[in-house]
Amino acid sequence: MLFWIIVAVMTATVAALLLVPLLRAGRREAVAGAHDAEVYRDQLEELKRDARNGLIAPEEAALARAEIARRLLAASAKAERPTTGDRSDTHAGRATGENTAPAGRANRLAQAAVIVVLPLVGLCLYLKTGSPELPDAPLAARLANPGEDIELLIAQAERQLAAHPDDGAGYDVLAPIYYRSGRFDDAVSAYSNAIRLKGPSPQRLGGYAESLLAQSGGLVAAEARKALEQSLALEPRDPRARFYLALGLEQDGKEDEALAAFRTIVAASPADAPWLPLVNQHIASLAPSGPAPAADAKLGGPDAAAIARAQTMSTDDRRQMIEGMVSSLAAKLKDAPDNLEGWQRIIRSYAVLGEKTKAEGALQDGLAAFPRDGAGGRQLLALAAELGIDTGKTP
Amino acid sequence: MIAELGHYALVLALATSLLQAALPSAGAFRRDTALMASGTAAAYATFLLVALSFAALTHAHVTSDFSVENVWANSHSAIPLIYKFSGVWGNHEGSMLLWMLILTFFSALVAFFGGNLPATLKAHVLSIQAVIATAFALFVLLTSNPFARLVPAPGEGQDLNPVLQDIGLAIHPPLLYLGYVGFSVCFSFAVAALIEGRLDAAWARWVRPWTLAAWSFLTAGIAMGSYWAYYELGWGGWWFWDPVENASFMPWLAGTALLHSALVMEKREALKIWTVLLALMTFSLSLLGTFLVRSGVLTSVHAFATDPRRGIFILVILILFIGGSLALFALRAARLKAGGLFAPISREGALVFNNLILTTAAATVLTGTLYPLALEALTGSKISVGPPFFNMTFGLLMLPLLFAVPFGPLLAWKRGDLLAAGQRLFAAVAFGLVVGAGVAYAQGGGPVLALLGIALGAYMIGGAATDLVLRSGLGKVSPAIAWRRLSGLPRASFGTALAHAGVGVTVIGIVAVTAFQSEHILAMTPGQTTEAGGYALRFDGLKAGQGPNYSEERGHFTVSRAGVVVDDVWSARRLYTARRMPTTEAGILTFGASQLYVSLGDDQANGGVVVRIWWKPFILCIWGGAVLMMLGGVVSLSDRRLRIGAPSRVRKPVRPLAEAAE
Repeated sequence: MLFWIIVAVMTATVAALLLVPLLRAGRREAVAGAHDAEVYRDQLEELKRDARNGLIAPEEAALARAEIARRLLAASAKAERPTTGDRSDTHAGRATGENTAPAGRANRLAQAAVIVVLPLVGLCLYLKTGSPELPDAPLAARLANPGEDIELLIAQAERQLAAHPDDGAGYDVLAPIYYRSGRFDDAVSAYSNAIRLKGPSPQRLGGYAESLLAQSGGLVAAEARKALEQSLALEPRDPRARFYLALGLEQDGKEDEALAAFRTIVAASPADAPWLPLVNQHIASLAPSGPAPAADAKLGGPDAAAIARAQTMSTDDRRQMIEGMVSSLAAKLKDAPDNLEGWQRIIRSYAVLGEKTKAEGALQDGLAAFPRDGAGGRQLLALAAELGIDTGKTP
Repeated sequence: MIAELGHYALVLALATSLLQAALPSAGAFRRDTALMASGTAAAYATFLLVALSFAALTHAHVTSDFSVENVWANSHSAIPLIYKFSGVWGNHEGSMLLWMLILTFFSALVAFFGGNLPATLKAHVLSIQAVIATAFALFVLLTSNPFARLVPAPGEGQDLNPVLQDIGLAIHPPLLYLGYVGFSVCFSFAVAALIEGRLDAAWARWVRPWTLAAWSFLTAGIAMGSYWAYYELGWGGWWFWDPVENASFMPWLAGTALLHSALVMEKREALKIWTVLLALMTFSLSLLGTFLVRSGVLTSVHAFATDPRRGIFILVILILFIGGSLALFALRAARLKAGGLFAPISREGALVFNNLILTTAAATVLTGTLYPLALEALTGSKISVGPPFFNMTFGLLMLPLLFAVPFGPLLAWKRGDLLAAGQRLFAAVAFGLVVGAGVAYAQGGGPVLALLGIALGAYMIGGAATDLVLRSGLGKVSPAIAWRRLSGLPRASFGTALAHAGVGVTVIGIVAVTAFQSEHILAMTPGQTTEAGGYALRFDGLKAGQGPNYSEERGHFTVSRAGVVVDDVWSARRLYTARRMPTTEAGILTFGASQLYVSLGDDQANGGVVVRIWWKPFILCIWGGAVLMMLGGVVSLSDRRLRIGAPSRVRKPVRPLAEAAE
């Protein structure tokens, strides 16, 4: 409210200031020549003074005097011409009576302009560009009463740190706050300061790497990888470090290694770990239709140890192992074909390994055990359709 | 609330500018004193409102009100108080507000001192000033609002650019703008004269004080900027022909030409049309400079293209004012009566020669500045026109002018005698040659061109003195009379002599530094000693330090000559914490007019530090000469002949007795 009162007073004061000269009676101005004449008279005075001081030769002075006098005469003539009567304030021969009325009207128009333009332009533009409801926020007052102002709390901690730049605990507190509020550059430097002052820990190194990642838009670059590896050396089971390293592998196009790394995380994590869904998502995207890792004792699938082994193998070795598992499964099914799950799994396996004819063969064999019109047969056909295996040729 | 009131005051200033643009010129056409007088009131009101607005922004900066975006982006709670003040104009928005403040300040000055002007002329001048103010108020409010707010308010600012955290920033921009914007008054006078169709010797006299004031400020501003760049940037250069520098130098060249041609117009009513054109061009170049610096077009044409709002706005202002005024000029110039005639060898002729060279020089600098921009815009290839171009063209252009400067004041108006003037300058020439020979002896020889350059500078100083000696008649009349004559000389004569001598001093400084400076770059370990400029510098080691908002490493050097310790100096490397930006603080030792300049570089593997040491002989002459030029302007400005009274109703002699006794 006070603000608007001051705005009103300001506007009114300025308007009054502008109105004062307009409220005086409009008077016709003396003709311009008078001012020129003044300048030339002044020049003559100056010339006289110079001549008296011997600054100008007499003949030059005479010439200059004649020149200035000519100008003075011209200017005076201009000034005197309209002065036919005794009034000096008429202009260019216009009759005086004719002038007063329009002058008054122009004056009233000008007064109206002052009264309208000031508030109109002032308020319209201000309301468009200003924020009248916002109070000042001088820092001293805010610091005296910080309240819940997170920005200010950060700033206070920063000032504290500026005064005691070796306070590692301060950086420990600030770094995650910076990270959460999206100030990644500051987070990076705070983490690096914390590491410098309080030594590396998985927490700090991980946070540092995470901030670097955020800074670079999610890319695991060399600096971040170094920090993660250091963190892993300190705490080999740290899932965060493992995850980002796996992510780095994935970004480098080393998909198999990435997949293996992700699986290691799953293997090492408790079943209810909060990061599992994210990790599984990566696994699913890397191996969209690979053999499910869940072991089935009945089928004699690979046990946990075998999976762990597979993850440390090279791609070729792993393929060999999978092929070995598939052929042993096929042998089992030949002996005991009454195993729907087994058929499904072997069809899927062949499809993943890219052996289409074998997959078709397995489908036919499965359909022999589970007729097409039965529930089991329909399941097998649906799976085949899903995997793109030809089912139509069957009689 | 104070910030918002400042914002409102600025908006209101736009409104009063609109009124100031409309009312007085309407009054001038109707010859209505009341309407014309309202222009004076509006000029005061506009200035007060902009000042209020500026004060509000300053308040926000000083109290670190980070809810104001401008404060947040350009200040920090930890910087020293003086930089909180100077930070107000150390950024785009604030500097444009300063521009406005100075523009309206000059309008208010015209309103205040304009009593001796014909009312219609004053009214027109105020109107045109207001048109400029309106355009810039709109620019500030719509594209560069310094009062934009932030919600929620950040807890800390982003700091002022460390390079700007220097006393130089506190002084340089206000001085420069006083010069730049001061020429707006000359512009307004020129446009007013064109509108009224009346141009005579009286007009020139009315414009002269404004030209002198603006020119003096601009001279001081450019010199200050050059010295600031010299000691702050840490590599010992004092002029880079950088587009930003050229932007301020072009109006200076044109303004210098204007100063001289207005003289001819005042004394002889000649060169009228040319003078008006120069007045228009000088301010146009100021506007162009503002555009170049403020639109971002200098950083890169492409950077300009990505956010062109500001640039386009200034470009429109530029086209409006330059185009509009030149169109008016084309329309009216033919109707103006040409002035008096004069022989080529005369004071007028000398001043025309001055104008010819100065405007050509301004055009050269303009070409060198705009050509790379035009080329980049058209073909996309980036070139830079550097010092070699400017030194060649500009230096060669200036040479004949410098030689002619002492002749000007010695030539008579209308018809001069070159031979006689030459004979009178004999002593000055001799003085120059003696100084040149002296330097050759002291330096044990040296490049002939450099020695001639120093002789030229000394000759100019001698020539300036010759003028005063001749005028006082020293040697012809008794010393007492000569002294009386000297003290009776108009101040403008002293101003001329001072300014011309100042040019000579600057020339000596430039030539001496260019020819005789020495540069030593080496890695130094603590305890090591090196030689520079006849002094021995011992590096004593680095010491860590902590400033209010930076940490630094200071290197200490003990300076001795012939085994005797004469002085010591600190040179520092700073790291400003908020922006993580390193700067160098050069250590500078002054011996007379020469300086020893020590700057720290990077650390070496072996524990040493790269140290750059320059010996800069007579470098202070460069800025000392500029200060003399500025003083010349100020002395001329104080000449009582510029204080003409208004015509009084009773036609009594204007000069009372007291004047004669002065």
